[in-house]
Amino acid sequence: MQRTIQYRWRLLAAAGLVSLAAAGCTDSGDDESSPSDASGATGTEGGDDEQVVRTDVTSKGEGCTLEQYGAEPLDLTDAVVGFSQSEPDTAAFRAAETKSIREAAEQVGVKELLVTNANNELPKQISDIQDMLNQGAQFLIVAPVNSDGLDPALAAAKEAGVPVLTIDRKVTNEPCSDYIAFLGSDFYQQGQRAADAMNEATGGEGQVAILLGSSGNNVTDNRNAGFKDQVEERYPGLEIVAEQTANFARDEGQTVTEQLLQSNSEITAIYAHNDEMGLGAVTAVEAAGKAPGDDIKIVSIDGTRNAVQAIVDGQINAVIESNPRFGPLAFETAQKFYDGEAIPEDVIIEDDEYNSENAQENLDKAF
Amino acid sequence: MPGGADAIDRPANSATSLLETVGVDKSFGGVRAVRDVDFSLAAGEIRALVGENGAGKSTLVKVLTGVYPPDAGEIYFEGEPVTFCRPLDAQHVGISTVYQEVNLVPLLSVARNIFLGREPRGRLGLVDVDEMNDRARAITARFAIDLDVTEELGRLGLGAQQMVALARAVSVESRVVIMDEPTSSLEAREVATLFKVARNLRDEGVGLVFVSHRLDELWQLCDSVTILRDGRNVHSGAMADLDRLTLVSMMLGRDVDEVVEHGATEFGDSHLQGREPVLSVSDVEVRNRLHGVSFDVRPGEVVGLAGLLGSGRSETVKAVYGALHSQSGSVEVAGRRIKPNSVRGALRASVAMLSEDRKAEGIISDLSVRDNIALAVLSRCSRAGFVSESAIDRLVETFVRRLQIKVSSPRQKVRELSGGNQQKVLLARWLCTEPTVLLLDEPTRGIDVGAKSEVQALIDELAEQGLGVVLISSEMEELVEGADRIVVLRDGHVEGELDGATLSSSELLAALAGDIDTADALAQEHADG
Amino acid sequence: MADAGPARVPTLEAIDEKFGPPEQTDQPSGYFRRMVDADWLRRNGVYATLALLIGVNVVITDNFVSSNTLRLQLVQVAPVLIVALGMALVIGTEGIDLSVGATIALAAAIIPLYIGYGAPGAIGLALFAGVVTGSFAGLLVAGVGVQPIVATLGIMVAGRGVANLLGGEIKSIRDPAIVSLGTDSVAGVPYVVVIAGAVSLVVWGVVRHSTYGRQLVAIGGNKRAAELAGLPVKRVLATTYVVSGVLAALAGVLLAARSRASDPTKIGLLMELAAITAVVVGGTPLSGGQVRIVGTIAGALLIQIIGATLIAHDIPDSTAQMVQAVIVVAAVYVQLGVRRANR
Ligand SMILES: Nc1ncnc2c1ncn2[C@@H]1O[C@H](COP(=O)(O)OP(=O)(O)OP(=O)(O)O)[C@@H](O)[C@H]1O
Ligand SMILES: [Mg+2]
Repeated sequence: MQRTIQYRWRLLAAAGLVSLAAAGCTDSGDDESSPSDASGATGTEGGDDEQVVRTDVTSKGEGCTLEQYGAEPLDLTDAVVGFSQSEPDTAAFRAAETKSIREAAEQVGVKELLVTNANNELPKQISDIQDMLNQGAQFLIVAPVNSDGLDPALAAAKEAGVPVLTIDRKVTNEPCSDYIAFLGSDFYQQGQRAADAMNEATGGEGQVAILLGSSGNNVTDNRNAGFKDQVEERYPGLEIVAEQTANFARDEGQTVTEQLLQSNSEITAIYAHNDEMGLGAVTAVEAAGKAPGDDIKIVSIDGTRNAVQAIVDGQINAVIESNPRFGPLAFETAQKFYDGEAIPEDVIIEDDEYNSENAQENLDKAF
Repeated sequence: MPGGADAIDRPANSATSLLETVGVDKSFGGVRAVRDVDFSLAAGEIRALVGENGAGKSTLVKVLTGVYPPDAGEIYFEGEPVTFCRPLDAQHVGISTVYQEVNLVPLLSVARNIFLGREPRGRLGLVDVDEMNDRARAITARFAIDLDVTEELGRLGLGAQQMVALARAVSVESRVVIMDEPTSSLEAREVATLFKVARNLRDEGVGLVFVSHRLDELWQLCDSVTILRDGRNVHSGAMADLDRLTLVSMMLGRDVDEVVEHGATEFGDSHLQGREPVLSVSDVEVRNRLHGVSFDVRPGEVVGLAGLLGSGRSETVKAVYGALHSQSGSVEVAGRRIKPNSVRGALRASVAMLSEDRKAEGIISDLSVRDNIALAVLSRCSRAGFVSESAIDRLVETFVRRLQIKVSSPRQKVRELSGGNQQKVLLARWLCTEPTVLLLDEPTRGIDVGAKSEVQALIDELAEQGLGVVLISSEMEELVEGADRIVVLRDGHVEGELDGATLSSSELLAALAGDIDTADALAQEHADG
Repeated sequence: MADAGPARVPTLEAIDEKFGPPEQTDQPSGYFRRMVDADWLRRNGVYATLALLIGVNVVITDNFVSSNTLRLQLVQVAPVLIVALGMALVIGTEGIDLSVGATIALAAAIIPLYIGYGAPGAIGLALFAGVVTGSFAGLLVAGVGVQPIVATLGIMVAGRGVANLLGGEIKSIRDPAIVSLGTDSVAGVPYVVVIAGAVSLVVWGVVRHSTYGRQLVAIGGNKRAAELAGLPVKRVLATTYVVSGVLAALAGVLLAARSRASDPTKIGLLMELAAITAVVVGGTPLSGGQVRIVGTIAGALLIQIIGATLIAHDIPDSTAQMVQAVIVVAAVYVQLGVRRANR
């Protein structure tokens, strides 16, 4: 738990050691609706592997047409497209997301794809977007650093008549005016499905500890609410005995789990909001002399290669996928938009699930 | 010699007690610094507060001004019982204080320091800088201090800083002014100015408390005296009723006959050995401060540096020691040139320097007395990277005894010592480096009479062993009697030298003043003492 | 003037009669009052709080009294403690080292990259990364004269960037020697704890008895005075940042070994503040001149056990943060209070 503790201590240290705190908190990227936190490993969309986009799109709202948006028609194959990535590609989720956009762009055959990375800094993302506009970008795909504060960049795009599609994190601006639509996962539903998987793994009986993502993050909130609501509604045999934050980090997942197991020997299952914390829990359970996946059931969300491998190894029971491969869907949506179709405000993706039955064969799909 | 002409017929005016304590007690741990002290100060009175180092003077002052709450006893201001929880409370009723250690902000300008907390405000509540500077100039002019009020305080010498602190204290409308050793780093001329201001204040009905180890000053200035010994008030009365000998014997707690009177100081005769200089300084240049200073010190010789404020005495020893960056010139010790601008080089050549500013450049207040004494010999007392505690213990024990440092244990924090005892700790630090050249900037600053003679005897003894000593002192007697030769500095260059027959107070005064009028005035002031 | 004192002056005998002979020490008046004064609080507050907290846990927390709990707390506190010890030295010089988190990330990133050279080689390289960042900080602070907070802030940002660049994605560590370092015990005491204990002892001894340690404290207390006393100020300052860097790197190795993974973007994040908190709560003033090693150990343990308590009782994050904020503010306040009293 020292990580958690550390994490908290910095916050309070912020209160006490004024200037130091300011210095220490350079990356404070996530707030309300940041999906994954910096290390990534959360995600969206429901492709499986690289070639085919097998999406099950649920629509919300009336939809936004080219006309309503007030944009000029465009032939994507002859267009300059810009992609603004939010976080460093060291996170598996981000790496997969960027790669998917690049590949889809190639497949569609756009004239040029501009790619920038804001390294989790909002000001950088704003200037990144402005740079791309200056370089002649005609269509923008943006993975926002933050749900607020992109206004200057979006205004600049609007001024230039360049439509913006946001992926994986929704901004608070006006849809169909400041941006076309949002493509992403339904984090609440991911939580519900994790509850289903947990029910399956435990046989309906269990004392569950939850490893929460970073607090004040809508991914955390939704994945948690979905899980708890589902448990309450359907699985009376599952009891939630602890909820502690481990900030989406593997070593915090480990330390928090160690503490939980030590103080509460009743725990039989762990639900982690992302794979990294789930993998940390695996290490912790082993250190406590128990068998992960067996004595203690573990369910997590994301679908990283390491986690799916852990299912194969019998240490994790199930992983709900949060697909980062937005490329095909993003370009498909763009094409529909230019074809005159109405694009719903939220384009929600159906995610897959990995479990002991399908993990081995789907290992290559994991990112 | 004691008994200034205008002090004699001024008995303590005790009709109205302005500030009074009854049965005040203050302890630090097991040390009762002030015990059961009754003290009273009347309007229009200047009261001396004297006692040995560690007798409790500063502690009493701090109790009077709200720095420490008393453990027991009452404080009355104009007959009303008062409780000062903070120094500010005391300031509000009109008690202003100059503490023993200069307590101002070095990075702010002189004017800013004088008006700290009560700056003249212009429109919009901003500090009216011009107004502030003008008023500061007027105040410093009254003190006859020649300085630029916009200069950073920290760049001034200690004496000038002390004058600024005084100016700050008396520039407020005060009923009581308390000065804890205000003259310890002042020159005769500034002391004279200070006295003039103090007498004016007295005539305006202000009560003053004056702490000093320069006993002669007491009879020049004070009407009455309170003597503390081991925290107790052992005598209160009129200044004129005491002579020096009785005062000293009461301070020290020894009988009159035991207090044998020497000259004014404890210095013996000269003990020149050999002709080859142990220290030879040539053409040292420091930008804007020193312009080609040269002088020699032979083994066994004590060379005094004299000069007015700003003449470059402290700067000279600092440049020799490598603590002040010099642009050119050379320093040789026993014929070998030492690395310029390097303190460590100077120390390796067995040069040691005692700085005048013990708070900023001397003591390390969080460390123990022991660690402070051993600081400069730490590596010498180490083997294989580890400190030999026993070697340090031996050194510390020797010097604590020899210098009569009043400590409850060598492990006591040095900041808990009285000012004079801190000074002794610093002397010990340099003496235990066994230097061949010792640069002493105000070595007896704030040290009581008993210990002062001990220090002077020690300097003498060291010189006898072949040490070269450079001595700076704002006390005329100390310089004239202590030095075998005096180098007179002015505006950063050597103005002249006094030795043999010319080595006397009057010659020195004349040399310092440079012109007849000032010399006369100074001689007059001096004769008053 | 050598005539005997005038009649109105009391003789010394009379004075002695009235007051008794001078005495040095008396029974301290008001023992309790002294016990709870501000200075006492700063010195001993952390021990009292720690004892209280342990007492409370013994009563209210299940499974608290067990060797497993003890082992777990010690294992988890070890990396923080190691960093805090280095930080205590730096703070003792009136400095601050914000680069420790980045150094941890660098060291952790190096382990999986160079594990091909064998565990000792990889660990050696990781520790060397600490020497490098520490030397950088030391050079900037001691050589160039940059403010410690500025110098180490720069290294914090740059170091983390380099770690990301070097390490890339999170990597699992499977080398048996490294895994064993993070997991196994000797005589029931985990290696990690043994290492932290040894480091504590060494640092304590260095501060107490080594020439370097004494010089460090003197420099932190009054740099100008130390300079004038001929202390090797620059060398001591530079050495201190190197020590802090190496200890941070060691913590990075242990963190990586324990989690069997190295995630350069996250590992050691904001560790600098955890370490500073442990040091400050332990009674070492930020103004330098004192290094309290035992206090730092207690401070780190206090933080650890507060965290453990909050998790054991499933206190929500928001409340937990408030509890901890109160503690840090209290510690800093106690310190400031003492400093003011010393003026
Ligand atoms: N903060 C403190 N903590 C512990 N002891 C102290 C403290 N301040 C003063 N003392 C002790 O109280 C005694 C009186 O000290 P004080 O400073 O009042 O002496 P003083 O008369 O001003 O001496 P000096 O002439 O040297 O300035 C000394 O023994 C000193 O060590
Ligand atoms: Mg004093």
